[in-house]
Amino acid sequence: MRILVAMSGGVDSSVVAGLLKDQGHEVIGVTMKLWEGENGEMPETGCCTASDSEDARKVAGKLDIPYYVLDYTDSFSDSVVDNFIEMYSSGLTPNPCIECNRSVKFDHFLDQANELGCDKVATGHYAKIVRKNNHLELHRADYKEKDQSYVLHMLTEEKLDRILFPLGTISKPEVRQMAANLGLKTAFKKDSQDICFVGNGDYRNFVANKIDLKSSGEIVDLKGNKVGEHSGVHGFTVGQRKKLPGGQGSPKFVLEIDTLNKKVIIGSKKELEEDSFIMGDVSFIRDEIYNNLEIQVRYNSETVPCTISKLDENRVKVQLSSSTTGISPGQFGVLYSNTKVVGGGRIEKRRKVGALIE
Amino acid sequence: MDYLYLDHAATSPMRESIWSAMRNAEEVGYGNPSGSHKISRKAKNIVEESREVIAASVGAAPEEIVFTSSGTESDNWSIKSPFQSSFPTSQDLVVSSIEHEAVIESAKWVENRGYKVSFVNPNIAGKVESSEFIQSIRETTTVASLMWANNETGVLQPVSDIGKAVKGNKKLIFHSDIVQGFVSTKIDFHKHGITSAAMSAHKIGGPKGIGFMFLHNKYKIESYLHGGKQELERRAGTVNVVGVAGFAAAVKEHQDRFDEEVGLIKNEKNTFEELISENIKISVIGLEEERLPHISNIQIRGVNSENLLVLLDLDGVGVSRGSACSSGAQKPSHVLEAMKIDKKDLNSHLRISFGWTTKVGDGARAAGKIINTIKGLK
Repeated sequence: MRILVAMSGGVDSSVVAGLLKDQGHEVIGVTMKLWEGENGEMPETGCCTASDSEDARKVAGKLDIPYYVLDYTDSFSDSVVDNFIEMYSSGLTPNPCIECNRSVKFDHFLDQANELGCDKVATGHYAKIVRKNNHLELHRADYKEKDQSYVLHMLTEEKLDRILFPLGTISKPEVRQMAANLGLKTAFKKDSQDICFVGNGDYRNFVANKIDLKSSGEIVDLKGNKVGEHSGVHGFTVGQRKKLPGGQGSPKFVLEIDTLNKKVIIGSKKELEEDSFIMGDVSFIRDEIYNNLEIQVRYNSETVPCTISKLDENRVKVQLSSSTTGISPGQFGVLYSNTKVVGGGRIEKRRKVGALIE
Repeated sequence: MDYLYLDHAATSPMRESIWSAMRNAEEVGYGNPSGSHKISRKAKNIVEESREVIAASVGAAPEEIVFTSSGTESDNWSIKSPFQSSFPTSQDLVVSSIEHEAVIESAKWVENRGYKVSFVNPNIAGKVESSEFIQSIRETTTVASLMWANNETGVLQPVSDIGKAVKGNKKLIFHSDIVQGFVSTKIDFHKHGITSAAMSAHKIGGPKGIGFMFLHNKYKIESYLHGGKQELERRAGTVNVVGVAGFAAAVKEHQDRFDEEVGLIKNEKNTFEELISENIKISVIGLEEERLPHISNIQIRGVNSENLLVLLDLDGVGVSRGSACSSGAQKPSHVLEAMKIDKKDLNSHLRISFGWTTKVGDGARAAGKIINTIKGLK
């Protein structure tokens, strides 16, 4: 098979390229150039820096595979960065990695792989593609600590057919060992954590530099009563407890951010808890009957049992078995049935100032 | 089948005769050419004999040639040196906006230091109009730079016309990057009124890492590297004897075989452009102007040449989209942008460049491969 491997320069994708080459495939390494700073340079930190593509190039050289850097800056800027700013400025908590997977890595990149005559695309994600009853399923990785199925929920069965996740059954220490065995210099490289297009990880400042989030405004309670002032909504996220007025005895939390009116709405822990919410932009791996559903509302949170009911084409209402905190509008809720990813969607805003929970 | 190498504008493989010239230089003249014993004298002789050969090939006097590490170093030196003073004086710089990055980035450096820099745009065919360039040169202009021929489109620039027009302007250094032009045209610095030039060995089949800076003997510019008194006290650092020997050998062979090689290259390029035009809808950039015989830049509307480049490479054909770039991903070419080519067509370009290893039939082979690949894409 001719396989296009997305190589970030990190240890995971390096090992993927090495593994597939060892299996006898025609492997082509590609680094997607996603973002560049003001002067056209790649950023200095994050997952797609100039030094990372240099690392990827060296690994490709070591493995003796063809390697290219392909330009995805337009597509990334249009669909990920603009979306990030837009979401953030409307008081939502964006997830740029999911947006990137949705519209760049597993869309534009898949298309380009097709044009380059490749049978499959492979990445270093920790997730498993399993064939069962003549269907392809997406499952959590065997190595739970690194499981990335959450950020891959937007894939469809049709797309899974064109993708390989060779690390789904391997542990990170094993991956590092394999990299060392292959003689790859990336074997002990640190994992990247930051949002790749925000230089030093300070994403609030990144956004604040693009739009006005730094104007002062009111802090209000759920009924709309003013309880304090703030010096810019960019300093707050939903669920945050720090920097809020009052709260002695009964701690206050950010419930919602109304960017348009520059208001930060706060309330008690009880008011932060929810037992149902609505998701938009919902997609499913495939159409089937879903049993024993559980939902995960953050990248690293525990799942909560739930049921779903369809509201319209791509919106569902999620009813949780018990109320929980940490449900941030803008983030994604991913539905699982045991280890199987069923689908997911974007959590919508639900509160309105002045009206207690619906 | 052999790899079909059609990226000579990026670099050419070393000619056979260079290997022995370089080996001989190290065997005989391993001494430091600045030293005073026999082995040093041997090295010095190799350097000076090489300098004569190289100088003669461009109509220069040997003492007007200073060896550098690259065309880029030479460009940086000539463009930036007059602007090194810590207090901006009233002087300014004129460059064309289609210069090689070595000149463009040097010009931006000058601009960032607070000096006025005029960037002169080309016409839509990629040629800078001499009248416009000359008009941009003012009383206060100390450096003006126009490349002999563009490295992405191959379009020849009116260097000679401008050289004649500025002759007598003793305050002005008229610089020309001839790196690409030298490959397939004859250049005589004094005849064309060029007072400074940048050249590199590896485009004509010489070694990488050696170039020269030409400076007319009536002019003086600040040194860039300080240290020993090498190169008539103009550039410190032990001279790259082996590189210089390879450079001279390349120039010699290039000159000896010039008519034969360039004739063949021209035929192959013509065949290539004819065949490809007959079979797919393309436009050849700069067709209306005189071009270097070895470069062909084609625009294939609606085709992403990034994909084309990858597929051709996998199929054993090496071409490029513009000038070589360190990060690998190619930004839209500043040359094509300056030519006001539609933004949506900027990613539809392919540069095919022929060179001394080009054989009869390569043009047709290249056209065949590219036509097939494009048809496969659609």
